[in-house]
Amino acid sequence: MIKFQNVTKTYKRSTVALSNCSVEIDKGEFVFLVGPSGSGKTTFIRLLLREELPDSGRIWEAGKEIGHLAKWRIPYLRRNIGCVFQDFSLLPNKTVFENVAFALEVIGRPKHVIATQVPQVLDLVGLAKKRDSLPHELSGGEQQRVAVARAFVNRPLILMADEPTGNLDPTTSLGIMKLLDRINRTGTTVIIATHDAGMVDQMRRRVIELDRGVLVRDQAHGVYGIDGATAAAGAGSPTGSLAEQAPVGAPANDRPGSFATRT
Amino acid sequence: MPVSAGYVSREAVTNLWRNRLMTVAAILTVAVSLALVGSSLLLKQGASKATAQWQNGVNAIVWVKPAAGATLTTSIGSELHNSPYIKSCVYRTQAYDYNEAKTILPGDELNSTSLADYPPSYRCILNDPSQAPAVYQQYVGKPGVATVKYPGQQIKTMQSVIHILQWVFLSVAVVLLLSASVLILNTIRMAIFARRREVSVMKLVGATNWFIRLPFMAEGLIQGLLGAAVAVLVVLSLYWGIGLDATKTAANQGNIIVQMSLGGWEVAGTCILVGVVGVVVGVVGSAFAVRRFLDV
Repeated sequence: MIKFQNVTKTYKRSTVALSNCSVEIDKGEFVFLVGPSGSGKTTFIRLLLREELPDSGRIWEAGKEIGHLAKWRIPYLRRNIGCVFQDFSLLPNKTVFENVAFALEVIGRPKHVIATQVPQVLDLVGLAKKRDSLPHELSGGEQQRVAVARAFVNRPLILMADEPTGNLDPTTSLGIMKLLDRINRTGTTVIIATHDAGMVDQMRRRVIELDRGVLVRDQAHGVYGIDGATAAAGAGSPTGSLAEQAPVGAPANDRPGSFATRT
Repeated sequence: MPVSAGYVSREAVTNLWRNRLMTVAAILTVAVSLALVGSSLLLKQGASKATAQWQNGVNAIVWVKPAAGATLTTSIGSELHNSPYIKSCVYRTQAYDYNEAKTILPGDELNSTSLADYPPSYRCILNDPSQAPAVYQQYVGKPGVATVKYPGQQIKTMQSVIHILQWVFLSVAVVLLLSASVLILNTIRMAIFARRREVSVMKLVGATNWFIRLPFMAEGLIQGLLGAAVAVLVVLSLYWGIGLDATKTAANQGNIIVQMSLGGWEVAGTCILVGVVGVVVGVVGSAFAVRRFLDV
């Protein structure tokens, strides 16, 4: 699904954001991207969104090399990627329903599609009753659910989240993680960049750790910090694990997924 | 991907209303500059038309001394008729000119003149109007001839005045058009800035650049069109107001304005040109404003 091959990205002020990074993520995986601030997590996500181009190295998404993508095709690439941010980035003057519907409207989906898909996805995130609320009337956790709904309403192949729980308390964060886990089980590849050690440790999913742009760890069923108290990573299924362990790369996706055919 | 016209126009009008003060400023600047362009075009067309009329009309007038007597007057006449420079010649009596003056001059002014102030004259049309100075040289000192007048000098002065006016109008108009474009660019930029969250969400979920761009470009187009509409009104009121309309002023012969009068087609052409320039200014201004925002 996603493949980085010797990717290096340097910003103008000569800070290395990613250095010779090679990694492969399969369809249907659930991956945590961890590391201190400035380690290159956000650059990783921006490269996948084709907001940046790598200085060297190559990146594939769903079999297409995105470095060779024509400019006018970038929007079509992004329709296959849902994205959630720490600050929710909802439109304050639109209701919950309108915020989610907006994502479909602007890619030209017809009204009847919007009328069926938006309630479905609001149901999935548990906000069916709040469809006419404005974002400021919602709690932080609810706002993030709206953002997840908006990212997922077009059924993307990949869902990316950049610090999705950064502004939320632990209980609420847990709810968001459960939601992302449910979405992952529909076959969507989920990539989460996070600082939230507790979440990573509880979920026991694949962990990719970056440090100053260098990939220092890639571990199945990993934990947040290798030196931490929960260092017995990957050794079976620990008690208290939140989510059921899905086999890495579980092919739960029966949708035909090619960036070229989806518009 | 098709972008619905309803969506584009709805968004554009919403943006215009949200930013109405700047919109009004932009529209007025477009209007003033285009009105100047339009009127300088009218002026140019009028001037060339007037020149053409003068050149086809009377080219030289030989005024005869009233005391010259009938024989001398006729001999001057036949000499003129045989001159190689002159195509045709008409004799005007004192009474004829006096009667003409009566129809043109207002009453009190007419009272201060009398029949004696209007000497008889030969109104001559030359084969080549540029030879008027030669005719002047030949007849000005002849016995019985009071003086010879030809309008070449006046035409030249008027043409150069109109020429200067036209350049002043056009250069002011060009500066104003530039500022109009910049104003439109700025209004669109403010509209985009006001909606930057929406634009960033649109980009994130994969809206095409044209989908994002079109409402803003439509906004610029509307501003340009409205400005052009106001300018067309100004040009038309100039046309009807000061009487450049050929059909209305045919009675007032001899008036400069009449000789500059234009037909409907020329005015329509000017208006169309004004409209096209308005559209171009609006679209170019907004296209520049949008370009930088979409460069990701």
